[in-house]
Amino acid sequence: MNVLKVSKWTIAAFVLPCVLLYVGLVFVPILVSVYSAMLDWNGIGASTFVRLDNFKYMLTSDTVFWPAVGRTFLLAGFSMLIQLPLALFVSILISRYVRKPNFLVSSYFLPVILSVVVIGQLWKTIYNPGSMGGMINQILETIGLESWTHSWLTEPKIAIFAIIVVGLWQYLGYHILIQFTGVQNIPADIYEAAKIDGADGFKADRYITLPMIIPIFKISVVLSFIGSLQSFDLIMVMTGGGPGNATDVIASHMYKMSILSQKFGYGSAIATFLVAVCLIATVIINFLFNRLDKKYT
Amino acid sequence: MSRTAITATKPAATVRTSGSRFSVAKPLIYIVLGILLVTQLYPLLWLFLYSFKTNDEILSGSFFSLPSVWQIENYSAAIESGNYWRYLGNSLFVTSITMASVIVLAALAAFAITRFRWKYGQLVLLLFLLGMMIPLQSTLLPLMIIFKNMDILNTHLSLILPYIAFQTPISVFILSGFMKAIPHEIEESAIIDGAGVFRIFRSIILPISVPPIVTVCILTFINIWNEYILAATFISSEKLKTLPFGVNSFVSQYSVNYGAIGAFLVLGALPVIVIYFLLSERITKGMVAGAVKG
Repeated sequence: MNVLKVSKWTIAAFVLPCVLLYVGLVFVPILVSVYSAMLDWNGIGASTFVRLDNFKYMLTSDTVFWPAVGRTFLLAGFSMLIQLPLALFVSILISRYVRKPNFLVSSYFLPVILSVVVIGQLWKTIYNPGSMGGMINQILETIGLESWTHSWLTEPKIAIFAIIVVGLWQYLGYHILIQFTGVQNIPADIYEAAKIDGADGFKADRYITLPMIIPIFKISVVLSFIGSLQSFDLIMVMTGGGPGNATDVIASHMYKMSILSQKFGYGSAIATFLVAVCLIATVIINFLFNRLDKKYT
Repeated sequence: MSRTAITATKPAATVRTSGSRFSVAKPLIYIVLGILLVTQLYPLLWLFLYSFKTNDEILSGSFFSLPSVWQIENYSAAIESGNYWRYLGNSLFVTSITMASVIVLAALAAFAITRFRWKYGQLVLLLFLLGMMIPLQSTLLPLMIIFKNMDILNTHLSLILPYIAFQTPISVFILSGFMKAIPHEIEESAIIDGAGVFRIFRSIILPISVPPIVTVCILTFINIWNEYILAATFISSEKLKTLPFGVNSFVSQYSVNYGAIGAFLVLGALPVIVIYFLLSERITKGMVAGAVKG
């Protein structure tokens, strides 16, 4: 039981500065956004209340919207199906075969701490045509695969995958770090006991590591999913959503509609959609993992 | 959620290496880990070499070569044509103010939530938890309108305020998770000694809470130092740009000298890389703690 009995005023003095700033700058804007989603408004002049028209337009007539939603989930899908399993595999390998893992793990992690601007511009340079110094095309030319060279970021069908590669590359180290910490924290005596029972090597991974890593793996899944929903800074730096709208995701579409095209009402509708998807996704992921967790413990 | 998840205990690896039937696989595994190391680090090394090359060398198609003469001029060209020092100063200013405010505000709130005898502590904590699920991009537009009305758009304040707000949930979480575990006898004896609430906070709780405060500092530093979108949206004056925004506008506008662009990117990455070299273990631990709590 807490021992500090204090007056209301003291509590207010401790809690209110933080809470007010937080509510004022996170919750109030979200509510403003939900409200302005129902306006036809360019941000300066008069606004008209149009009820759910913006949402209706978004869901039925906006030709950019659904492809952008699709690409957002494509990002999340690639991350979950490639990045996370690879990270788990690598963390198991490291924890089993590398005696001094710190150097390796912190090297993998290095891209994570760099600004998206540095990462985005660096990869833009890497994707450049060979004649402009682009690394990938130069490699392909050198090994005789000239037919494979592409203008990676300006060909509409390829551009989004070129960006996905960068996202996977940058955050792989983050997931390795998280899951490696998780694998390290599985008590060694469980493996010893399993060894006596005849479970060793990858068999031990199947029956011990995988079930015991579930809670940590969930953190990776949530991070990667929420990260994919929100990730558009990389896209803004690398392509600005282009060519055309070929690399737009929900968030970049929202940004372009509201900030660049000044359709504040419509942009707010997309923003509201984004908040809703985030909340629903978090709930679903938690629900799924709770069931998975129960099944194994 | 438990703190045992953060402090890596003795590796389980030592017990498990003994299996001899994996001896064939071992070199293969080192190759896999090595390839991954190259893919993760080579682009950065490539950029570093790139930044010392002449245009001719860059365009000639030698993706794997050292510069024949290390062009330090690229760096002076970058620094002269871009406002590197100004951007760096702005970033330092914005990040340090944000960091200090986050620590003070979050520590006060976490202290009240975990140590005061009142009903609503958990409710306040829940409020912060809810905020962690909200995508911050969706606040961009309303914040812009609010700041425009407050007439603080295009000032550092318009960055610092939302930065503080965005960092508080995770910080309150980390700090309250730690403070909850401090034994109550500490306050009991302090009260007997006649110490007031604020005194207990400042002289007892705060000094004990240095480890989670360091974690909060690291998370805030990495997130805020690298933040780009808000800065690019709210700031328009050249002299107020933070480093990521400044680097991006320099690189997008300056297209004659490839080496200088590379140099500017390296300069943009340099502060974080230096800090990472000095504090890599603390930073990785802090980032895991941030992820696990979140």
